[in-house]
Amino acid sequence: MSLVNFTAREITCKIVYYGPGRSGKTTNLQYVYSQVPADRKGRMVSLATQTDRTLFFDFLPLDLGTISGFATKFQLYTVPGQVYYNATRKLVLQGADGVVFVADSQLRQLDENIESLQNLQANILEQGVDARTLPMVLQFNKQDLPEELILSPQELDEALNFRNLQTFPADALHGVGVFETLKGIAAEVLRRLSQGGGGARRI
Amino acid sequence: MSDELGRALDRISRVRGMRGSMWVSAEDGIPVAQLLMEGVSGKAVAALAASLVRKISGTAGAVGAGRVRFVQMEAAGGTLLAALAPPDLLVVALADSRVNIGLARIEMMRAAAAVAP
Amino acid sequence: MSTTVVEPWAEHPLLRYVAESSARLVVVMTPAGQVLAQHGFARAVDLMAASALGAAIMAAAGALAQQLGERSFGALFHAGERHGIHLASCATPRGPLIVLTVFGKETSIGLVGLFYDEFAAELRRAAPAGQLREPVLAADFEADLNRSLTSLFHG
Repeated sequence: MSLVNFTAREITCKIVYYGPGRSGKTTNLQYVYSQVPADRKGRMVSLATQTDRTLFFDFLPLDLGTISGFATKFQLYTVPGQVYYNATRKLVLQGADGVVFVADSQLRQLDENIESLQNLQANILEQGVDARTLPMVLQFNKQDLPEELILSPQELDEALNFRNLQTFPADALHGVGVFETLKGIAAEVLRRLSQGGGGARRI
Repeated sequence: MSDELGRALDRISRVRGMRGSMWVSAEDGIPVAQLLMEGVSGKAVAALAASLVRKISGTAGAVGAGRVRFVQMEAAGGTLLAALAPPDLLVVALADSRVNIGLARIEMMRAAAAVAP
Repeated sequence: MSTTVVEPWAEHPLLRYVAESSARLVVVMTPAGQVLAQHGFARAVDLMAASALGAAIMAAAGALAQQLGERSFGALFHAGERHGIHLASCATPRGPLIVLTVFGKETSIGLVGLFYDEFAAELRRAAPAGQLREPVLAADFEADLNRSLTSLFHG
């Protein structure tokens, strides 16, 4: 649930990058971290295993600047993608104002994408939140890989985009689509605030 | 060890006027073992007594008085006693105005000496 | 030392807690790690990281408690060489809150725990029920957003 400080005119929102293991969630945050000036970001915290897989979450606080007279801050989180870390995924998802689902465009990862998307729906539902009202965008990552290994954005859209969400093709490693995705989810989340909602509707 | 601590509290509590006694972790200010009358908050006595002992020890150090061994604080409604049991424990007792301070002090110092390494 | 509050009702209890416990840093946050009030942090972004980690510790401990059939573990305490941290949750009419307290050698976990109990009771008394939800941003916020994000990435 986004926090609004009317006295200091500040807004803080929580965005969670969700998706299957190795789809590029941490890479998205690392790219954002590398591009943003020091005075507009905090330290990036990564709770990772020795092999650099996300164990709990990555966290990056960002200062977006002033929007409609409100100093706006975003807290970006990733969840661990591996199936067996569902307990920690649920914890990180708690109180999210928006979700970026990072799908792996590789053909052989299609089932993992679908499974992760279903897992996201289940976890949102378990928190008593109506998933249809939670601001969300889809990112089709790894579109830089050879054509024969990946699905096109159109094919991924048909396979994954049941809610007619905004989609963004990306190559997060080189920063392609990362900024656009963040801008997309930021606009969705802030749109809710402009409509008088502060996150997803409780069921 | 915990039996020994319990027996020491038992002996201190037999002194007339005692409302409770406890072993307290000197640095953390949390109770380690306690024998208290109903209505006495062990958590509060432990935290505040440890804080008091630390401040008095600091004062004693500053005026060159050396290591503090025993603290006695008399107030209108009762008395707080604390004996230092180095390296990291305190024996703390809470008593009313009828208490025989001398006897309480002997029992508390004996208890402190018994746990010394 | 600076104190900032997002929700004004939390200010008085927080100031009293800081004065009594001699804590160095205190954050009152939601279980999702959103800060309602803080004392002692110089940079907002450091505060955010501390809150995210504090909320994560509480969330993980809570999940572990559930697995063991416990309702919760109450307060958590970690002792370091120079600093200790005390983490505890508190049910209020505003919803569950988490308080992270960082303290040094000038106080003790016993004192922090003692005054935390009083602080939690004050928060419960002071917290309003529910949250204000009304349109916050102007409908034409997108021009501001575009400008802010562009400067963020190309500044």
